[in-house]
Parts: sequence; C-alpha cells; structure tokens
Amino acid sequence: MAAAAAMAALGRSFTAALRLPRARPGLPGLVLNLYHKNLPKVEPLRQVKFLHTTVSRKGLEEFFDDPGNWGEKSVKSGDSWNIKQLRGKSSEDLHKLWYVLLKERNMLLTLEQESKRQRKPMPSPERLEKVETSMKNIDLVVREREIALRLLQTGHEKPVPGEWRHDFLGRTFWYSYKEWPIPWHLNKKHRKKRFYYLPHVNHFIRLRLEKALRKRARQQNLERTRQKILERKFPHLAVKSQSQ
Amino acid sequence: MGPGGLSRGGGVGPVSESAACPRRYPLFQRGGPQLRIFRPNFFMLAVRPGVPQPEDTVQFRVSMEMTKVDIRNYLEKIYNVPVAAVRTRIQYGANNKRNHRNQRVKKPDYKVAYVQLGQGQTFQFPNLFPEKEQDTETRTFDDFRDKFLEKEKQKQEGDPRRGGVPDWFGL
Repeated sequence: MAAAAAMAALGRSFTAALRLPRARPGLPGLVLNLYHKNLPKVEPLRQVKFLHTTVSRKGLEEFFDDPGNWGEKSVKSGDSWNIKQLRGKSSEDLHKLWYVLLKERNMLLTLEQESKRQRKPMPSPERLEKVETSMKNIDLVVREREIALRLLQTGHEKPVPGEWRHDFLGRTFWYSYKEWPIPWHLNKKHRKKRFYYLPHVNHFIRLRLEKALRKRARQQNLERTRQKILERKFPHLAVKSQSQ
Repeated sequence: MGPGGLSRGGGVGPVSESAACPRRYPLFQRGGPQLRIFRPNFFMLAVRPGVPQPEDTVQFRVSMEMTKVDIRNYLEKIYNVPVAAVRTRIQYGANNKRNHRNQRVKKPDYKVAYVQLGQGQTFQFPNLFPEKEQDTETRTFDDFRDKFLEKEKQKQEGDPRRGGVPDWFGL
C-alpha cells in the first residue's frame, strides 16, 4: 500500500517535471524534445508571462510594417498557430491573441493594396494566409469551449435547437426552431409548408444523387489527369513515395 | 481592449457573444444588454488617397458591414487613435469588363471611410516601397543584363570593320 502511494507520488512529481511551457510565443512551431537523460535538468515551473500585452502607443503606425522591412523583397515569419497550441491557452489569452492577429492582418492587407497600386510584388504574401489560418483556429477553439460549457449547463450542443427535415423535393436541411407568436396549428402559412415528400419523388432523389456522384468523380478524374501531366512534365519534382 | 469587447453603437449590429462571424443579430430592445462584439473580424486597411486630402484626414477601406460608429470605436479602442469625425461612402466596383463569353464581369464594391484625426494629429501615407541600395544579387543580374544587351546590339549592327557593307555582299 505504502509502495503504491510512493509510486503515485513519484508519478506526480514526474508529470510535474514534464509540464513545460505549452508554447512559446516567438516560436510557435518549436517542439521540445524530451529525452530521459535531460529530464533532471528541467527547471521547476515558474510563472512566465507568455503573451505580452503592453499597451503600445503607436496608433496609426500599426497599419504599416516595421520601417526596417520597407522595400525588402521577402520578410521572414514564423509558422501559423496550430490548434494544439491554442487549446493550451486560456480564453483571455486567446482573445488578446485575436486582436494581435487582427492588427497583423490589417497591416498585411494595407501592404497588399499598396503593392497592387504600385504594381510591385508583395513581400512574403504567405503571411496573410498564415494569419488567417491562425484566426480560424482561434475561432474553432473558442467555439469548442462554448459547446462544452453549454453541454454542461443546458445539455444542448447547439445554441438554437433544431432538427433535420426534408422539403417536398426530398432535400434534407437543418431546420432551426424559432419563436412564433401563435401555435403552429393556428398558423395558416406555416401549415401550408410541406416538410415531407411523396413516394414518386424517390426516383428523382436517386437521379440527384447520381448526378452529384458523377460530378465528383469527374472532378477527381480531372485532378488526377492534371497531376499525371505535371509529373510527366517535371519528373524531377515528383514526390517520392513515403513508404520506401 | 478590455475584456468587455467592442461596444456597438446604434441599435442593431453584429453582436455576438461567441461567433466571430456574425450571422443573425437579435433586435436591440431598450433596456436590454448592450450589444457587444468579441473577436471582431472586420478588416480595415489604410489606403493612399487618390484625391489629395487635408492633413488630418486618413482614408481607409473597411468592411462593408461597418458603420461610422463602428469605425470610430474600432480606431479608438483597438488602435488608440483619437477620432474627430468619420465620413463614409460606398465605391461602386466597375462592371465594364467582359469575359470570353461577352458577359459583364463585376468588381466587388467596397466601403471607403475618411477619418479626421482629433487632438491636432496629422497623417501622411508613407512610401512602403522605397528605393533601397541594390544588394549584390540584383547588381550582378543588372550587370549581366546590360552586358548581354550591349552584345546583342553589337550583333545587330554587324562587324564594324565592314564599314556598313551588308553581310550578303562579298566574301
């Protein structure tokens, strides 16, 4: 019994040592490699502020890049924030990071527009995509947390309840409930709506399905052909199989 | 930006406690909670004014959904810029281009905001693409190009020793 307790304590201390700063703001792509030999070197966890939110009194200069980067052909940038790193952040940090990214996006859009106007290539346009991915990921994480909270509080996953319904052509759609001033059986307009389909529609549903499948197959075929042509044109760029 | 979010002026507007992408907004009722935006996804980009503007005026291109009050709040709360007045207009995107089927192609409309700065601030749009001293790579490339062009020109003119006599004449 005592041995088990000791083992548990050891495990706890181990996990405490393993608990490292979740992500570094400057290097979001960095993953710390922990081997057993450097485990004891890990310093005890200190309270570190990961996100610095000092009020910067720059004002309108924040719409433009750092003056040192003006006229450069390419600007170095880190990776976008992925969803795993963002899940480790507190909600407050996420909201602060959102505003940082929003300013960054405005800056990049300004730069893009100015480069279009002067007919010059934009330096490192991939930054815009990275910022947008990060913002999308933040949104996803916040939404996940909201759903979890709502499930705990109300037991519903969605903020507005609803259900899947069919229309008279057999198409399925999400019908979200809303408040009505009168009950549905008194509402003439609502009663005229048909949320069902008759058996003779089955044939057309089948045809619609076939059409969608054909379209998808054709697109996939086209993509495959294009890739083959490209590989024939540029054989030295073809991706080597990962399994070998 | 505090945790309170951007307060939304006027009656209706993107609110949304949760979503960054506004969908449907509840009607503002008197006495109801103030409509707020958390995680606004409005963009706002400074543009160089095509028509010369007064010194204190900045021209922006903003999201179509933003109102004047939104623009003021956005600049004051997020960017800490004092705003005296905001004027907006909607620029009609040209549709005089035709595609290969002779159908009209429309460029998207956008909203333009003219913001007058408060507290006697002035703004001048900077030159984002200044002429930098050339680095070695471009310099060598330019040298190479100049040399090549000179050689081509020499070829076009022909052998100077022939004194302008054409190639096909003589040996």
